[in-house]
Amino acid sequence: MSDSRALLEVRNLKVYFPVEKGIVFRRRVGWLKAVDDISFSVAKGESLGLVGESGCGKSTTAMAVAQLQRATSGQVLFEGRDLAALSPRDLLEVRRNFQIVFQDPYSSLDPRMKAGDIIAEPMRIYAARGSLAMSEKEIGAKVTSLMDKVGLLPSFADRYPHEFSGGQRQRIGIARALALSPKLVIADEPVSALDVSIQSQILNLLKDLQDEFDLTFLFIAHNLAVVEYFCSRIVVMYLGAIAEVAESAALYERPLHPYTRALLSAVPIPDPPKERLRRRIILRGDVPSPTAERAGCPFRERCSEAMARCAIEVPKPVEAEPGHLVACFLYAGKGG
Amino acid sequence: MSDTGKRGETILSVRNLKTYFDAEYGLVKAVDDISFDLARGEALGIVGESGSGKSVTNLSLLRLVPTPPGKIAGGQILFRGRDLLQGGEEDMRLVRGGAISMIFQDPMTSLNPLLRISFQIAEALRLHHGMGKKEAKSKAVELLKTIGIPDAERRADDYPHQFSGGMRQRVMIAMAISCSPEILIADEPTTALDVTIQAQILELVKGLSDESTMSVIMITHDLGVVAGLCDSVCVMYAGRIVERAACDELFRDPMHPYTRGLLDSIPRIDSAGRHRLYSIPGAPPNLAGLPAGCAFQPRCDRAMPICGREYPPETALSDGSGAPRSVRCWLHAADAAARSEA
Repeated sequence: MSDSRALLEVRNLKVYFPVEKGIVFRRRVGWLKAVDDISFSVAKGESLGLVGESGCGKSTTAMAVAQLQRATSGQVLFEGRDLAALSPRDLLEVRRNFQIVFQDPYSSLDPRMKAGDIIAEPMRIYAARGSLAMSEKEIGAKVTSLMDKVGLLPSFADRYPHEFSGGQRQRIGIARALALSPKLVIADEPVSALDVSIQSQILNLLKDLQDEFDLTFLFIAHNLAVVEYFCSRIVVMYLGAIAEVAESAALYERPLHPYTRALLSAVPIPDPPKERLRRRIILRGDVPSPTAERAGCPFRERCSEAMARCAIEVPKPVEAEPGHLVACFLYAGKGG
Repeated sequence: MSDTGKRGETILSVRNLKTYFDAEYGLVKAVDDISFDLARGEALGIVGESGSGKSVTNLSLLRLVPTPPGKIAGGQILFRGRDLLQGGEEDMRLVRGGAISMIFQDPMTSLNPLLRISFQIAEALRLHHGMGKKEAKSKAVELLKTIGIPDAERRADDYPHQFSGGMRQRVMIAMAISCSPEILIADEPTTALDVTIQAQILELVKGLSDESTMSVIMITHDLGVVAGLCDSVCVMYAGRIVERAACDELFRDPMHPYTRGLLDSIPRIDSAGRHRLYSIPGAPPNLAGLPAGCAFQPRCDRAMPICGREYPPETALSDGSGAPRSVRCWLHAADAAARSEA
């Protein structure tokens, strides 16, 4: 299981939130299983995409990886070290190696700080702790070079966030994430709040930065076309569990899980003749509540190929093809 | 829905519509002199990014622009030949939700959280058709069945919070089609929804428009949604329609550099290989400080000196199919001028 090339390894991660009732005497009446026993690893230099619809647990996974959300159980290993086992002081030191780019460039920047200070802040924090040997002058030079790298005029360093457009704000967020030269960047829906013509600017920028700084990405998105473009490998999540893991090209050419197939068929293609010829798999109903006590496969109620077994057992991911994992009993004979 | 009139005849004709807003920093021309026609049974897509004027266009059609600060500064909106901008507010109330109805982006804020679903659907029926309480309620249940709400009799008495996002958008559609409208305006109806739910809703709208002569105006930023649903498309940029074409033609041969850039910059799941996406440089302009000449010219890779001086006229083009096709770009205006001289 342990992979020497893995920069990040997530093992049997579970994140449950208590569901409480009562006003004076609050008691727990159940669990919301946001993430329910998932494992995956991210190799150095790759871009791993986490996709799924709202409520599938992709953002909770990202927050648990970043140690911004405590895991109920399971491990998050960064370069082989269990992050949950570290002291707060040690965690702070390790954390400079994994930084986050957030979804909303409007609420993730402090409106009272100037752009240059926002980008400099991570460096100032670590310099003040004595673990980053940079003078204020060197930090200033680094801010200038970062702004240049992300396509902002360094003369904008004295402006406040409201003076920038959405795309420019996201560039500030990216420059801040890169300030400490991290090894891993966790990008949580980095382009979904942006206009269509700005999305490709930011995606191309992230790709260029990945090449230049040798970055590894954990990329969370609901837009499958965006993930296909950006990521080399993709994890499809449904209701807190992993449905399928595959290389990007394999997933789009040969989706195995019935959910992945439905998901891909639902993505509109900007090509009218092609759209007319497509056979769309329309899923019935909605995603079930993550608080319900349930048995079997999370997708079975909406699955057109559900069997008796699916209601009893939870399918575990098996390797149906080399490097292509799928959690579905249709493929149970082919691997584990 | 409505059986009156024939497919193909013009039902709505917008002429030189101008909607302006008075802002602290000056006059904002949110919609600046746009014209288009909508045929009976046609599904028209209006595509644009934030600030393009697509939503204000839609609000103007039903005279829902908040006044002040906004005002419709000029133009005509001819519905079955009658100018909607001339009638009184009372006339307009009969059109809204009756002959022309609308669904919005966010189904949660468009439904009243304190009223039962059935009551909210029945309200329009009682207002427009003078139905009694009982009759309206049974029609409401019938509509919920049409739009695919399971167990409709029981669910009709639920409140909006008991419905999921996709089901709420279905309820909005049920309300919108309850009075058999001739035009359904959908403003980003699937933007707040997940992709599998989006597919359900688009399928529903497509089904409704296929089996009747109801026309649809689909306002969206998503060219994929347009490709699957619309017959024709208007592309808006900075308050103007920069290109108008039959859907297939627009995607096959985009004429305006903005349309072309937009199509080349969207990632798509069917793109073999991993060639780099095109990026349109810069950002959508601020409507209060538009550049001189063509609004797209600062971002355009084919800008010429004239583009910075004069706004390009609308150039009509023929694509052979007879569908209206036009573009506002000097590249094509010059071509057309050369052709007419020759």
